[in-house]
Amino acid sequence: MNETTVGPILTSDGIPLKVSLQKSERKNKIRAFLLVVPLLFFILFTFLIPIGDMLLRSVDDSYINTVFPKTFEEYKKWDKQDLPSEELYKTMFFEIKEGSGYSIGKATTRMNYAKSGWKSLLKKSKRKFKKIEDGPYKEQMIVIDKRWADMEYWKAIGVMVDPTTAGYYLNAIDLKYNADKEIIRQKENRRIYIKTWIKTFKVSVLVMFFCLILGYPISYLLATLPLKYSNLLMICVLLPFWTSLLVRTVAWMVMLQQKGVFNNLLVMSHIIADENRFQLMYNQTATIIVMTQILLPFMVLPLYSVMKTISPNYMRAALNLGASPLHAFYKVYMPNSIPGVSAGCMLVFILAIGYYITPELVGGKDGQMIGNWIAYHLKTTLNWGLCAALGAILLGVLTVLYWVYNKLVGIENIKLG
Amino acid sequence: MFKLLKASFLGLIAMAFTATSYADITFVSWGGAYTASQQKAYVDTYVSLNPDAKITVENYNGGLGEIKAQVEAGNVTWDVVDVLPDQAITGCDEGLFEKVDQSSFINDMVVPPVSDCVVPQIFWAYTVFYDKAAFPGKKPKKMKDFFDTKKFPGKRGIHTWAQANIEMALVGDGVKAKDVYEVMSTPEGIDRAFAKLDTIKNDVVFWSAGSKPLELVSSGEVVMAIAYNGRIGAAILSEGKDFEYIWDGTVLEQEYLVAIKGGKNTAEALDFMAHASTATALAEQAKYIPYGPMRKSSIDIIKKGEPWFIKYGGDIDIMPHMPTHPKVLKKAVIGNPVWWADNGAEVNERFGVWKGN
Repeated sequence: MNETTVGPILTSDGIPLKVSLQKSERKNKIRAFLLVVPLLFFILFTFLIPIGDMLLRSVDDSYINTVFPKTFEEYKKWDKQDLPSEELYKTMFFEIKEGSGYSIGKATTRMNYAKSGWKSLLKKSKRKFKKIEDGPYKEQMIVIDKRWADMEYWKAIGVMVDPTTAGYYLNAIDLKYNADKEIIRQKENRRIYIKTWIKTFKVSVLVMFFCLILGYPISYLLATLPLKYSNLLMICVLLPFWTSLLVRTVAWMVMLQQKGVFNNLLVMSHIIADENRFQLMYNQTATIIVMTQILLPFMVLPLYSVMKTISPNYMRAALNLGASPLHAFYKVYMPNSIPGVSAGCMLVFILAIGYYITPELVGGKDGQMIGNWIAYHLKTTLNWGLCAALGAILLGVLTVLYWVYNKLVGIENIKLG
Repeated sequence: MFKLLKASFLGLIAMAFTATSYADITFVSWGGAYTASQQKAYVDTYVSLNPDAKITVENYNGGLGEIKAQVEAGNVTWDVVDVLPDQAITGCDEGLFEKVDQSSFINDMVVPPVSDCVVPQIFWAYTVFYDKAAFPGKKPKKMKDFFDTKKFPGKRGIHTWAQANIEMALVGDGVKAKDVYEVMSTPEGIDRAFAKLDTIKNDVVFWSAGSKPLELVSSGEVVMAIAYNGRIGAAILSEGKDFEYIWDGTVLEQEYLVAIKGGKNTAEALDFMAHASTATALAEQAKYIPYGPMRKSSIDIIKKGEPWFIKYGGDIDIMPHMPTHPKVLKKAVIGNPVWWADNGAEVNERFGVWKGN
């Protein structure tokens, strides 16, 4: 505390200066806040709420519990050794018979994720239960469909009895719950997601790497050539950037397929034999090549804008002081271009990891990425819980990478221009 | 995830600016030659009967994702959608579609409708075909020839999802077309199908867009491919390609129209659907594309009217290109959407593992 301060400074009308200042500042603050309100709402509605909704969906299993509340209550008493008791069959019977058509319909979709076949079993049962007037129900249900006597179907209910579930996350990494809610591995011939995750990261890292290797020299030329040439070069970079993604993807198909331009040229010039044509399309190689070309501008542009700011005098000075060109580049130019490299790599990697349309078209047998599975479940199976879990994992991984990156390089070292 | 974001975003925007005109029907279908044929056979004829009606045709890529998003966001912008049968089942069960009055056609259909929400459109088929020039000597005739790379060497084009690939593998392995789904309902049956697929694994080129198999066969990249029969027909009829179908073990799929629940023009939409499912309208469509109408009486109209297919410079008999030709039906697998609604996710995951290995 400063000893000379005796009390708060007052304005001429006796109000402390601090309060008075705050008062006059308040107006400005409100005005500033009002200016950002539209953006705030925009971000809230288009970004935060949907992401929150997605995160909720990935653990939410409450709907099914509102359709079969009594059955699930009764289910918890079942010992899972033998077929359930008449009592459980009876509760299930009435909840199916008396439930509304749509709620049962939605439930069938959910239950089918737990065990394939629930969908048609419930639908058929809903239709046929109308004819059953009184008990005992167990035998009559089994007469309607013998799957009611299949323990697997009953066991599958076990994974749904809680209103929140980690089941979708487990599915997203090839695990699942068994009837007792213990975590077990997915059947071997269905273990697709871990493989796809690894592939997605592998492809994204490779694409990022190739973009950097190819983009760095171009950006250097762009930044150092006289304006006349660099403008021309810039157009070469931007033209494909402005061309439709689909057009570029299809053009690559024409180039790379077995009877395509590239292979034909090699065969015509007798570099390879006709029967040894390279398989460059409809596999992972194709995905990497095409994605690299499509994402290249996202590496070149930030690199270029950073390199443009590096004064040529630095290099001249280094050379003047006796450094070899390579040494000067390594010691002077490269460190200065790091913010551009980071920005480019981040951009390309983040875009690549969620890529969907290119792998779908050129990926063929092993070039499909996690985005393709998200699209599949979003559109075809309507398993939005699993989509949400896959999306949330993607988001989580990116957040972790961002955090690591921030620790290692520092986010202030990123520069887009 | 992005679709969902987009859908909720668009939903909000649209709610804020509800300025759409109320008499328009938005009809959503798959695009290409198929939608062009629907435009001529259904939309144009409907508009000539009801001059006030306005029908906007949009394209989509299948699936229920967009529809579910629209219904959940309470902002339905599509009225009539052309859907696959397993989606017709799921969407109707989940209350995404309106129930329709089926009394006018229910007794006239080749197979009963898959749900209470649909009006009939066409049968289309996954069919194997080849370029006659690729086999100067003995030509493949049966599904087992498709899986026999010793007798008929060369690559095969197949699609990237499991539907129809499983059925065809079983027919290729000697299962009778009518028993296919019985075999598929046992775990051993699925194993058997994958084992058969293994035999051509190293000779497979995968495609995902419908135009691709035609290009693959035309360019010689593959010697045989599975394709949508309408695309093969169009290549033969309109482009004069020398392609040949292998009808043995072809897999017939159904196609329906549905009305989205909560749409603003439901009455108009249902009226349009009634028009687009009359026997004459269905027959009319076959003038422009070789897909088989689902109503028996439409097939009669076509048979009586041959040459039916409209082509520049002279008309052509269409029945030999129809997947519902009686001769084809004898050896075809009629796709079972209920089986796929049950097992689609599981089998497609397994198919994904198989592809990648």
